[in-house]
Amino acid sequence: MKAVLLIALKSAWARRLTLGITLAAIALASALLLAVERVRADARQGFAQSVSGVDLVVGARGGGVQLMLYAVFHAGSASHNMRYDSYRALAAHPAVAWAVPLSLGDSHRGFPVLGTTAAYFEHFRYGDRRALVFAAGRPFAGTVEGVFEAVIGSQVAAALGYRIGDRITLSHGMEELGPEHADKPFAIVGILAPTGTPVDRTVHVSLEAITAIHLDWAGGAPLPGLAIPAEQVRKFDLQPQEITALLIGLKRRTDVFRLQRHINGWREEPLTAVLPGVALDELWQAVATVERTLFAISAAVVAVGLAGLVATLLAGLDQRRRELAILRALGAGPGAIFLMLAAEGLLVTTLGTLLGCALLAAGLAALAPLAQTQFGIPLAWRMFSANEIALLLSIIATGLAASLLPGWRAWRMSLADGLIPRN
Amino acid sequence: MNFHRLLALGLAFPLSVAFAAGKHVHGEGRLDAVIDKETITLNLELPLDAAVGFERPPRNDKEKAALAATDKTLKEAAALFVPTPAARCTVQSVQAQVPFTGGDDKHGEHGHEGETHHADIEASYVFRCAEPAALKGIETALFKHFKRLYRLETQRSGPSGQGAQRLTPKVPVLTW
Repeated sequence: MKAVLLIALKSAWARRLTLGITLAAIALASALLLAVERVRADARQGFAQSVSGVDLVVGARGGGVQLMLYAVFHAGSASHNMRYDSYRALAAHPAVAWAVPLSLGDSHRGFPVLGTTAAYFEHFRYGDRRALVFAAGRPFAGTVEGVFEAVIGSQVAAALGYRIGDRITLSHGMEELGPEHADKPFAIVGILAPTGTPVDRTVHVSLEAITAIHLDWAGGAPLPGLAIPAEQVRKFDLQPQEITALLIGLKRRTDVFRLQRHINGWREEPLTAVLPGVALDELWQAVATVERTLFAISAAVVAVGLAGLVATLLAGLDQRRRELAILRALGAGPGAIFLMLAAEGLLVTTLGTLLGCALLAAGLAALAPLAQTQFGIPLAWRMFSANEIALLLSIIATGLAASLLPGWRAWRMSLADGLIPRN
Repeated sequence: MNFHRLLALGLAFPLSVAFAAGKHVHGEGRLDAVIDKETITLNLELPLDAAVGFERPPRNDKEKAALAATDKTLKEAAALFVPTPAARCTVQSVQAQVPFTGGDDKHGEHGHEGETHHADIEASYVFRCAEPAALKGIETALFKHFKRLYRLETQRSGPSGQGAQRLTPKVPVLTW
């Protein structure tokens, strides 16, 4: 048997070009299938990790998914702001343990700027209820004197090479080339440790700072002829009129739906309160069809790749009549011939899937930064999950099953078949 | 940061406003579940139509009987909701308000101005479990009793986090 496999290997090497192309097709197909599964699993994992310990997210009336994406992932945009007064009233509600206001809309070199209070660093949790940790520095002061202080996430620091004490300016809106708040630079006072969540990509400043940089603005542009220098803003009342959203933690979990109903029926203005975990599940319910479609398409691509393998092996049989006949004449039984063909199919499939894994690793390494910054999906290289191993094994098993067909054909070929000279 | 593609996928689908206040869809109920230590609190909201097929005061004895039967079904909490048996949960309290029954008439109209054409059943249940660690899910018999109920949109907040799940006659178990 060992000899048969050796012959099979050498025979395959002799036909390395055609088999190589088939192998490349299988590699690409399995890389695609694995990538679809990987992105699906990691996106869910990453999103689920991004917020924990927040009982309710509150914003202007609208879709819960949209609100959650905006407030937690800084993705998309809010339809409306909510009043600062509503934040004050909700923060004072007896069921509420803590409330952290969020104000979004500005950016720094493509990274979102979040206006909030120092309570954010105290109460925000990610992963398994882990608190934010400062890699360097401290939270912004949140006082009148410290209004132009900023705390940056680890990726902002790494991507732009910032250190404590550096001064940065914020841009209006999310465009990198938006109008700059150039006259009011911020000093970086803190850098957060990596979390693997959108926090890493965020520049945090105080709510008052957001008001301050927009004092001399109206309608999304600086007011002509009116420029309030940075030293002067402290004389103004910097309490904001509006915020974008509110994160709420409760004293007792039992109150969550009662408070949700209370907020959804808020009399002063139309508000929506959503449980972030519920909104995430709704998002996954909505994209489940798309995920299944992508998965079906990539599974079909694998099937096409394996069909190519079978076609190659079958076509090869014709050319190899003589080779196989000589083997038979030299004493190889039909079983050995069958084994040779099946082993060849298995070899190509296995090498193909292994190459596919390598392709996946290379693709992840190349695309991970993009996925993180553009889509907020953390795609780090990790070991294969049980699901992925099951996928790999099923590709190999299907490849083996498919190569039984050429094996069977070869087995059926009579000894005489390749020895009778054709005209 | 523009997540736009995923966002577009997410928002292109009809969803997510489902939990806005005052929503009333025939055939669709809502169930909110909080699991806090050993206590399970369930809040149920059903369109009256799903239970009896009409949403107005009863016109004859048969309709009155249907309302009474609904009220009785809803109050049998232990038969309606079955938490994981190993958790050994027992019913602590039951409150059910079926519109147009007895003294609860005022609740029937639900108090929303301009919404008099709809009526909702509201019920809440509290269970206490001796072995909360064994609690893995809650099965509901609502679909068996109310054939006009097609789905139950659930929100859940518990020790393993929050989540949403759609229960249907084929999948009548809330799990986490």
